[in-house]
Amino acid sequence: MDETAERLLGSASRLSRDPETEIDWEAPIGDGYGMSPEWSTLYGTPYWDELTEAQQRELTRHESASVATTGIWFELILQQMILRDVYDKPPRSAEFQWALTEIADECRHSIMFARATERMVEPAYRPRLLARELGRMFKTVATGETAYAAILVAEEVLDVMQRDWMRDRRVEPLVRTVNHIHVVEESRHMVFAREETRERLAGAGRGRRWVSALVIAIAADMIVSSMVSRQVYANVGLDAERAVREARSNEHHRSLLRTSCANLMDFLGSVGLLTPAAARVYRRTGLL
Amino acid sequence: MSYVISGECCSDASCVAVCPMNSIHPSPGEPGFGAGVSLFIDPRTCIDCGACADICPVDAAQPADQAAPEDVERNAAYFAEREPLEATDLDSWEPPAYQVWGDGPRRVLVVGAGPAGMYATRELLLRTTAEVTLVDRLDQVGGLVRFGVAPDHPRTKQIIDTFERIVGHSRVRWLPGTDSTSLTTGYDAVVHAVGARRSRRLGISGEDSACTAEDFVAWYNGRPGATLPVQLTGPRAVVVGNGNVALDVARLLLSDEDQLRQMDVSPDVRRVLAASGIKEVVLLGRRGPETAAYTETALQELLAAAGDRVELRFHARPTSWTSEGLTLESGDTIAAGNLFTAIGFEGQAVDGLPFDADRGIVPNVRGAVVGRPGHYVAGWIKRGARGGIGVNKACAQETVTTLVSSSRAAASPGS
Ligand SMILES: Cc1cc2nc3c(=O)[nH]c(=O)nc-3n(C[C@H](O)[C@H](O)[C@H](O)COP(=O)(O)OP(=O)(O)OC[C@H]3O[C@@H](n4cnc5c(N)ncnc54)[C@H](O)[C@@H]3O)c2cc1C
Ligand code: SF4
Ligand code: SF4
Repeated sequence: MDETAERLLGSASRLSRDPETEIDWEAPIGDGYGMSPEWSTLYGTPYWDELTEAQQRELTRHESASVATTGIWFELILQQMILRDVYDKPPRSAEFQWALTEIADECRHSIMFARATERMVEPAYRPRLLARELGRMFKTVATGETAYAAILVAEEVLDVMQRDWMRDRRVEPLVRTVNHIHVVEESRHMVFAREETRERLAGAGRGRRWVSALVIAIAADMIVSSMVSRQVYANVGLDAERAVREARSNEHHRSLLRTSCANLMDFLGSVGLLTPAAARVYRRTGLL
Repeated sequence: MSYVISGECCSDASCVAVCPMNSIHPSPGEPGFGAGVSLFIDPRTCIDCGACADICPVDAAQPADQAAPEDVERNAAYFAEREPLEATDLDSWEPPAYQVWGDGPRRVLVVGAGPAGMYATRELLLRTTAEVTLVDRLDQVGGLVRFGVAPDHPRTKQIIDTFERIVGHSRVRWLPGTDSTSLTTGYDAVVHAVGARRSRRLGISGEDSACTAEDFVAWYNGRPGATLPVQLTGPRAVVVGNGNVALDVARLLLSDEDQLRQMDVSPDVRRVLAASGIKEVVLLGRRGPETAAYTETALQELLAAAGDRVELRFHARPTSWTSEGLTLESGDTIAAGNLFTAIGFEGQAVDGLPFDADRGIVPNVRGAVVGRPGHYVAGWIKRGARGGIGVNKACAQETVTTLVSSSRAAASPGS
């Protein structure tokens, strides 16, 4: 573990990015998409086809802001879990120092996302109450592999979307830069989360694995289903009922999610966290 | 420091998608992808995050301080003449490509559980909601990865673990030991991924008493039912062929007992190889070294293992094989106890499908079998017997894209 942590510390010293100085926060915002349109929850549905291009663009800007907000929410959970996890680790160890580096990264990311959403759209989004309350509980009780694998799930889902958006010339430049900064630093966090998950699971028996697998799957469901708030549809003037209905049965979106989570599912499978019960949850959520 | 990719890379490009710095090339779509065997990491832009190593199914990506110095050099050399790509200039990245989901097929049959069949299955699971029936006439997944890839390349074989996880997916019905011909209809689409494992023939007299790469490789890898059709006789053997398979054959023939003990081969294979008395191998190429099909890494590996006992001979055309040895067009005879032919593989006709005998493939357009709606091909039976394991991924993706688009209603605007 220390070896991984040391390498990651070395990597962070090679390249860490400071959104504060790297982004021109005063630069005017254009009218680009907020995310690749193909990532919109409505893309591919009849409703999407009824919208004008301007409406589609507006929708993606709000969806993107909502996703970023979910990112902030999860980063808060993550920071607290990591802080608790390293509470009694020796401060001189690479693992401890890397953990704090990660917290510092997340801290910067949350501020960055908050400022970016503020520049992109008027209304502020928040994950729904149920998610917030479950998150509150989760961050207090989750330990070991459950904490790290849940971190991984959230990061991985976000990561794959953001890789697409950052490369997409149709997307607003601010969003692209913010996403690249996140992607770079997140790749180290995912390496760390995988390593921790593997290590914590090393001696786990079948019972514990079964429970952990299910808890992680439920957390994943909560994260994914909280990504785009239903407020989004109302705020861009859509019929929220209809939008939610069509988004929910949007096979195009589910297939994008599945594709994005393929590496993650492969990892969970390789460490024995894809138990039949967990797999059922992932299938329902649309990740498997 | 940076990460580097070793020669065991099978270029499936999984790492390209996770690198946050665009440091790994050639990526799919770039010239050179799929031609060589390995991808490379640009040490000038790699930030050592380790994401590539984490994702690599065969552990080919490693930190430079743990990798072989030759690998570090190879990776750097690939980029020597190229400008570094500035990852923060996001327009220097390939833009994302999307495929829109439509009314996909409900039931798909995939024939063959080699790399092409496995990647096609994975892609179907990701891109559609279809239930996939996967069959192979053998009892295990892997195809030539299990029964072709040399036993001293255990890391390359690790990809089988990934294949086994795909088989465990709840939407996959895996029927081992099943020949496709025993299956009836009832599928919306059939993907034939049956490979091309039959050795090409030289067409010279006496060839029947030579040993084909197909037989030799199947034997040392323990494919069920495979036996060694010849008796190994030292001290010299001739291997005709200039591809990596020819090099595999030569390497195995020249392995000493110590090397054999470290390989995952049966005691029987080990005993026969150790007792063969073969001390020298002549590798014959019809044309010059500049057109040789082997990769630089594979050649280095062979030379490192048995350089002083391998002779590379180019511009040599065999005309007949007798107990005296191999006679060449030039009139020379190379005295040898065994002749191995490794001049490539060819596909066999598939029941009910058209067949292009010259190229050894089922004629197809981006994977759709010509004149047989509902039938698709992937892998070696689609492209011919060329390309490493990973190339089959892009190949299977193309086939599934064709399959999904032809079963879809009008795509939504903007797609
Ligand atoms: C000797 C050798 C060594 C190699 N080493 C390497 C290496 O080190 N690295 C690398 O990257 N690549 C290597 N390759 C190349 C790699 O193996 C191929 O690219 C790959 O296996 C081709 O995949 P495929 O799925 O098309 O065919 P295959 O791997 O041949 O799979 C075809 C499958 O279909 C099954 N099948 C055939 N007919 C039927 C039927 N009628 N019904 C049911 N099932 C059927 C077969 O049993 C088999 O499992 C090697 C190839 C060979 C021949
Ligand atoms: S095997 Fe695949 S993932 Fe591993 S280094 Fe090669 S291309 Fe990358
Ligand atoms: S270590 Fe990170 S930056 Fe370097 S090649 Fe691998 S994924 Fe890319």
